Amino acid sequence: MAAPSTITEDAIPSSPGHAPSGLLVSLTPLSGEALEATLANLALAFADRDLLVITPDPTPTTLPTSGHIRLTTYTPATIAPGGWVLTPAEFLEPCKLMREHASTACLLLGPEAQSLAPEALRALADAALTGNADLVTPCYALGPRDGLVNSAILYPVTRSLFGTRPHYPLAIDLAFSMRMAERLAVCAQKFTAANQNAAFIWPVAEAAAAGFSVAEVPAGARTLPRPDGADLNTMLAQVAGSFFADLDAKASFWQRARLAYSPRTAAFARAETTSVQPAAAETPDVQSLLDSFCLAYTNLHEIWSLVLPPNSLLGLKKLSQMPAASFRMSDDLWVRIVYDFILAYRLRTINRGHLLGALTPLYLAWVASHLLLTSGARPETTPPEKHIEALAAAFEIDKPYLVSRWRWPDRFNP
Amino acid sequence: MGQQIVFALRDSMHRVLIKLASFLPGLLALLVAVVILTAVGALLALILRRILTAVKFDERFARSQTVNVADWSPRHSPTVLVARTAFWACVILGFIIGIAAFDASYAGNSQIAAILIPYLTHSVGAVLILLAGTVIARFLSRSVLIGAVNLQMQYARLLSLGVKWLVLVLTTAMVLDHLEIGGTIVDLAFGILFGGIVLTLSLAIGLGSRDLVSRSLEKNAGHSVDPRTAAHTAPEDDLADILPRTASPQPKPSETLRHF
Repeated sequence: MAAPSTITEDAIPSSPGHAPSGLLVSLTPLSGEALEATLANLALAFADRDLLVITPDPTPTTLPTSGHIRLTTYTPATIAPGGWVLTPAEFLEPCKLMREHASTACLLLGPEAQSLAPEALRALADAALTGNADLVTPCYALGPRDGLVNSAILYPVTRSLFGTRPHYPLAIDLAFSMRMAERLAVCAQKFTAANQNAAFIWPVAEAAAAGFSVAEVPAGARTLPRPDGADLNTMLAQVAGSFFADLDAKASFWQRARLAYSPRTAAFARAETTSVQPAAAETPDVQSLLDSFCLAYTNLHEIWSLVLPPNSLLGLKKLSQMPAASFRMSDDLWVRIVYDFILAYRLRTINRGHLLGALTPLYLAWVASHLLLTSGARPETTPPEKHIEALAAAFEIDKPYLVSRWRWPDRFNP
Repeated sequence: MGQQIVFALRDSMHRVLIKLASFLPGLLALLVAVVILTAVGALLALILRRILTAVKFDERFARSQTVNVADWSPRHSPTVLVARTAFWACVILGFIIGIAAFDASYAGNSQIAAILIPYLTHSVGAVLILLAGTVIARFLSRSVLIGAVNLQMQYARLLSLGVKWLVLVLTTAMVLDHLEIGGTIVDLAFGILFGGIVLTLSLAIGLGSRDLVSRSLEKNAGHSVDPRTAAHTAPEDDLADILPRTASPQPKPSETLRHF
């Protein structure tokens, strides 16, 4: 049972010369220096407005002088482990304080928020304050080897099933309206009541399911916090498990959702918010990833055969025999693999822990293929963003397969 | 002499037929009880399923519950869980009633009843142990196989098979012990087999992990001798949380991948 949180206001009065912004800024736990840097960035971003900032950290000794920040500290009701994504408890406090202060929008900043530029902070808040969007997510400018799980699974699946465009469904900085805050708080409340304080919340899917508008703004470079004390296998199982469970819970929505654009045109669509980065000139060493996949192919073939149809297994067999230099997992094959794993998760074809464990080597094979395709100086080399967009389009085109098998799982599937 | 033999044979045949005649009604009662209660269970399950589907039990349950109980139910449906629980409760009740009827059909001093009834109940227990053991063996075997493959252990399959057979051997020994078959031979054979499998696995892991252990020891020794080397190895340490732990050489720091 979550304990009630306590709130303390620090007396930094708002200036009468500045317009009230109607914006509440909520910060997650930060170190002293990081908190000071974040407040300085906020002061720069909102120099002409009064700002209410809430933080669970003690008030820093030095506060920025240029802005008009009213800082409020609170004791979170629950302490969540981890701290690399937004936890359910971090969605509860903003909603409560938005109601109390009659705020129209909230800017929720995740760990390492000090690395966000003032322009990005301003853009996020403005999009929510103007009332054009209920949920605003940032589009980070990450390197070609960053956020690979997001590129491989989270972004393309969310885009294809929910018809949304944001590139980071598990974004760690968000701006949202009052009604979106209430929706997220209800969702978070379910988890905190069940003592699942480290559960993931998927804001983009929540907004789509509620019929709220979603927008994305460019946010530039950002330092992404690192997950603590867990290896890839554990983290992938946690993230993918939560993601698949959320898809299962919202199946009634995405099965009948009509996309605003047709899959055919989506195949040629490009993200307007992201800049296309050139492919890396140096070919990476992916041998350890390929070794991992080949070892898994010889050992996990029986388990994969319980989940994947013969056509996908044939594709994996060909993949296991490919030389490292020309290793390439087709987008269609990866799409089918992910969709079949989502189905198996729903149908409990095998134990869910085993299922998610068996996904790791396949994901590593995709990573190897993606890195090889997006680096080097060969004619077929593709910029990373272009490949990710093409993959997302492939997910959209193949969505009828998932819907069909979701409804009739026992139908013949070659 | 001949007449005495014929008489003895007739007498024994008569006794066996009488025993059989008194045995069959009990067996028939058991079968009838099981069949009737199974039919009742199926009917009850059908009615329950219809009623719960009509009142949209699954949707109401999903809305009201914070903990997803549907995760524990077959086909993700609490309705199916309730129906199946009712069905199997009836089947088990049928067995209990049948065994009681079987027991009651004999006189208290019957020799067959004294042997057969405990054996029947032990057989049910043995079947349950066998089923549980098989399920656990398969679960553990898959867990070990997937875990070992993700750790890039070359002997993942051997390890998985070893664990599977360990559990199966243990299960078999428990079943035989429960049925009181074999006596000390089972204990002895189990000890030899179990010990043999453990020794095989120990050797396999020991030989297979030689390089891994030596590298780990070298790394630890390096840390203890000169703490300054920690600064040089930091990037590789950082890789540990984002790359799968592998027995093969780690990639260069410049090739860091960020999965999350």
